[in-house]
Amino acid sequence: MKLKICLGLLMLTLGGCSSLGVEPWQKQHFAREDMALNHEKLDLSLDDHIYFSKEGSSGGRAFAGGGCGCN
Amino acid sequence: MQLTHKKNIAQALAIASCGLVNPVAEAATDDRFFSGWDIDAALMYYGEQDRVQAIEAIGDFQKQYDDESQLNLKVVFDSLTGASASGAVAQSQHQTFTRPSGDGQYIVGAGDTPLDDSFKDTRLQLSANWIEQLSLEWQSNIGVYGSREFDYTSLGVNGGIERSLNKDNTTLAISAAYTYDLLEPVGAKPVPLSAMAIRQDFISEQAFRQAFNLTRGDDSDDKQTLDLILGLTQIINANWLMQFNYGLSSVAGYLTDPYKILSVVDNSGTSQQYRYEHRPDSRLKHSLFALAKGVVAGDIVDISYRYNSDDWDINSHTFDGHYRHYFSDDFYGQLHLRYYLQSAAEFYQPFLLMGSILPEYASADYRIGEMTTYTFGIKFGHKLKGDHELSYRLEWYQQTPKNNGTALVGQLQQHELFPSLTAVIAQVSYSF
Amino acid sequence: MKYLWITLLIFVSTVSTAAPSLDVMVADKQGQLVSLSEFKGKVVYVDFWASWCGPCRKSFPWMEQMHNQYQAQGLAVVAINLDTEPRFAEQFLKDLPASFSILYNPDGDIARQFDLQGMPSSFIFNRTGELVYQHVGFFNKQQKQYEQQLIDLLKE
Repeated sequence: MKLKICLGLLMLTLGGCSSLGVEPWQKQHFAREDMALNHEKLDLSLDDHIYFSKEGSSGGRAFAGGGCGCN
Repeated sequence: MQLTHKKNIAQALAIASCGLVNPVAEAATDDRFFSGWDIDAALMYYGEQDRVQAIEAIGDFQKQYDDESQLNLKVVFDSLTGASASGAVAQSQHQTFTRPSGDGQYIVGAGDTPLDDSFKDTRLQLSANWIEQLSLEWQSNIGVYGSREFDYTSLGVNGGIERSLNKDNTTLAISAAYTYDLLEPVGAKPVPLSAMAIRQDFISEQAFRQAFNLTRGDDSDDKQTLDLILGLTQIINANWLMQFNYGLSSVAGYLTDPYKILSVVDNSGTSQQYRYEHRPDSRLKHSLFALAKGVVAGDIVDISYRYNSDDWDINSHTFDGHYRHYFSDDFYGQLHLRYYLQSAAEFYQPFLLMGSILPEYASADYRIGEMTTYTFGIKFGHKLKGDHELSYRLEWYQQTPKNNGTALVGQLQQHELFPSLTAVIAQVSYSF
Repeated sequence: MKYLWITLLIFVSTVSTAAPSLDVMVADKQGQLVSLSEFKGKVVYVDFWASWCGPCRKSFPWMEQMHNQYQAQGLAVVAINLDTEPRFAEQFLKDLPASFSILYNPDGDIARQFDLQGMPSSFIFNRTGELVYQHVGFFNKQQKQYEQQLIDLLKE
């Protein structure tokens, strides 16, 4: 049942999504390197490491991960 | 540390945005292994006043093979020195603690927050990731990861698959990671909630050793983490895109911090003994993450919100944003703001009371207590000839732990049990 | 799960009523409208591109090569620029000079009529003006195949 609800929600979301967006030739901004979601990936990974070591929550944007004896 | 999932979505977006091949692809027609790499390097300094200082260096190497494949190698080295809060409370009299190894002690002055300065730590981390474009719509990635520090080893694998739909305006992603961590604490694992043996309480070194050994368990232990992320990235209009992630993380094994302790105080708030902390051996975490990123008059803006919740009762909200302004085509400035708010773990308590029954789990680690944190950062970057970029940033990080409602007894009222912490982060990066 | 796939399929297979055809008018650099049907009788390779599109940088040298090699045999390469501002296209063409026809459709109405799925997109018409092949993206590995398609059509 839960699965069905989830799938239903997913489809609604996708349905909503299909009316969003732009045509392929209207994506010049998304071709910008500074618009990529992994732009400044080193800053993001360094920040993640700091916050992972200093706060009780981690992850969300990327994997919470393990591999640090700091928390 | 962190395995990256975000890069894959970014890759998909690069594809969504500018057709069906990554723009980086141009570089790589040469077959030789050592040519055609895009390299990002960064050196970061992290410093807390009177506490931890760290240096972290990263090299990230990326190479495109044909139109479909991309290899990413990453090396991280970091070195940590200084002291961190042990969990014990400040007192009106000086306090003596046994080092985790049992060899020697350290003394904390009256009124000072007890810090443990036993460790200098050096860590090396290596990871490799392979991205394969399977078709116009499907993309997969697979990666391995390993890190080693003197008391900690971590190994992991991760993989994911992405599907683009709706003329590449929508990307669905699912990825999973498994991590195995091996802990070999200095002086072995402490017996949970056992009382710290202190040399001055014993008539001989031998008697002390005997008592200390009774607080020690196995030499090593492990923990396993399984992460799952479902992601949806959607282009909204010509200027904005949004990303939504749901993350599930299940950790099982030794989750206690072997170096953290709790003070046991009497009715006057005076420490009578110290006990080693004990945390549950599993933790199930959920996270929701939403990000909006866009172009506003040529500048780049992103704002994100993250909600974390887990079965230790730590709930947190994170608000984060960047604004990048281009002063010219090759010079930009960027602001970073972050606000973080967390509630305490159910077993968090700043100290134990003498005479009350010991709980099954207890930790005074302020990092799982109630707190808010703020980050303010500025960054400047120069685009140089041949697609090189030099950037530097400076950030201030302020942590303000709070009392989660514990009544402070006796002398504890006169001490700062929840001291704030300020850190400075300085970083230089170069891409070529 | 089945429904999910069906839904996904519906999204991918939504077919536009507009059809790619040579019966369209596109502006040249001077703003004069040119009908693509003028190229009828030739094998016409219609390419849609933009200055910001990475793979387009790879397709231009290839199109230039095809143009030089096969124009005598009746190949017409027509690259329609979709930049909103023509100055970006000019810079691109400075870097990657093209001796084939360059036309401009900043409004994107022609691109819409061709129902582009990605950038770049190419459409190959035979000598009688029928659409025979279409490609989305530009892949180094498929250059040979694209070329072979042109050769075969030129022989017809």
